[in-house]
Amino acid sequence: MGDDTVAVETEEVWPDDSEDIEEAIVANWFVREGSVVTAGDPIAEIQIEKVSIDVPAPVGGEIVAVLVEEQDEFRRGDVLARISPS
Amino acid sequence: MAETESEGATDSELTMSRAMVDAIATELRENDDVFVMGEDVADYGGIFDSTEGLLEEFGREKIMDVPISETGFIGAAVGAAQAGMRPIAELMFADFFGVGMDQIYNQMAKNTYMSGAAVNVPMVLMTAVGGTYNDAAQHSQTLYGTFAHLPGMKVVVPSTAADAKGLMHTAIRDDDPVVYMFHKRLMGIGWMPAPEGPKTPVPEDDYTIEFGEADRKREGEDVTVVTLGLHVHRALEAADELAGESDLEVIDLRTLVPLDTEAVLESVRKTGRLVVVDEDYHSFGVSGEIVARATEGALDDLSAVRRVTMPDAPIPYARPLEQEVNPGTEDIVKAVRDIHD
Repeated sequence: MGDDTVAVETEEVWPDDSEDIEEAIVANWFVREGSVVTAGDPIAEIQIEKVSIDVPAPVGGEIVAVLVEEQDEFRRGDVLARISPS
Repeated sequence: MAETESEGATDSELTMSRAMVDAIATELRENDDVFVMGEDVADYGGIFDSTEGLLEEFGREKIMDVPISETGFIGAAVGAAQAGMRPIAELMFADFFGVGMDQIYNQMAKNTYMSGAAVNVPMVLMTAVGGTYNDAAQHSQTLYGTFAHLPGMKVVVPSTAADAKGLMHTAIRDDDPVVYMFHKRLMGIGWMPAPEGPKTPVPEDDYTIEFGEADRKREGEDVTVVTLGLHVHRALEAADELAGESDLEVIDLRTLVPLDTEAVLESVRKTGRLVVVDEDYHSFGVSGEIVARATEGALDDLSAVRRVTMPDAPIPYARPLEQEVNPGTEDIVKAVRDIHD
């Protein structure tokens, strides 16, 4: 993967009213590496305290890398996955 | 929620809760008689995500929060069903059935029979079952046997997302009352991680799974394990652990009423050994029923039978105590070794 992939940035899905929260977990992946998605499809669900938030695919294409495992923590701004646009 | 958008997805996997919601949403779109009522089903999306996101798309006319009044709202659902609608009522925890039991087993279950079929009751009573997360004796029961014992209701217990969706479509379209019992641990919610297994690829289009058809989740030669719900996945784990030692066949009942007796008999005729795993209490329940049917139908083929169940005691709050009484993978392995020697 390189410049031709699109990063799925958590910053874009972090809720506005959780400014003091910096960490979350990946509750569920709905795709695997190799899955093909269309823009807007929910590809994962993240959990911030008791709130679940869907992470939509920013573009359509192939999931080439899943970077955070289910139940693992990540920090605001981390990249969750990479998509190779089709 | 995501269901609308996710319909275009290819190759995606759904959690069990999303698969259920996907089916409910499709039925709501296609049939104006379908609606959902229950405690915290609207704004909260169901405390185990069983109705997550439905309010946004369908509004409060179709997705109704109700007061804590099981007799009231289950009774209202029975009446609505008799008047021609197709309600889905959520009883938040199966443990709370006692509060509205007259409506469930005297009205919902019997009104078709008692009216000489002048009315039918095409409703779904959806309810969360099971423990494993330390919610104590009033929030952790499965009570499968209680509901299956009372005549007049079909009883559904899915174990995977693909089954959950197909069985939900069938339940909503059925002209009789259906009790749809989903295990909290299988839903795939963030604060209660599911085991490996319930999240499956789910076909995008709607489909039904006929009631009364058990699913052989694993084919094997040595021992038949009959189970349902969460314990399908523990039985499959046990099968992996016993690989090379004992070849397990795992039968997922999927529906208790109607019950696929033939699938059980066919399997025990082949293996000759039966282990029934049930998260319900040991006595007077599903495990006894399965053993009875196996002995009635295939006594000559059976060499050994074991039950792995909850003891006849209230379910403890304390984590180590609850883990002790809830049938674990190790308990299934032990029961299999016990009868395979």
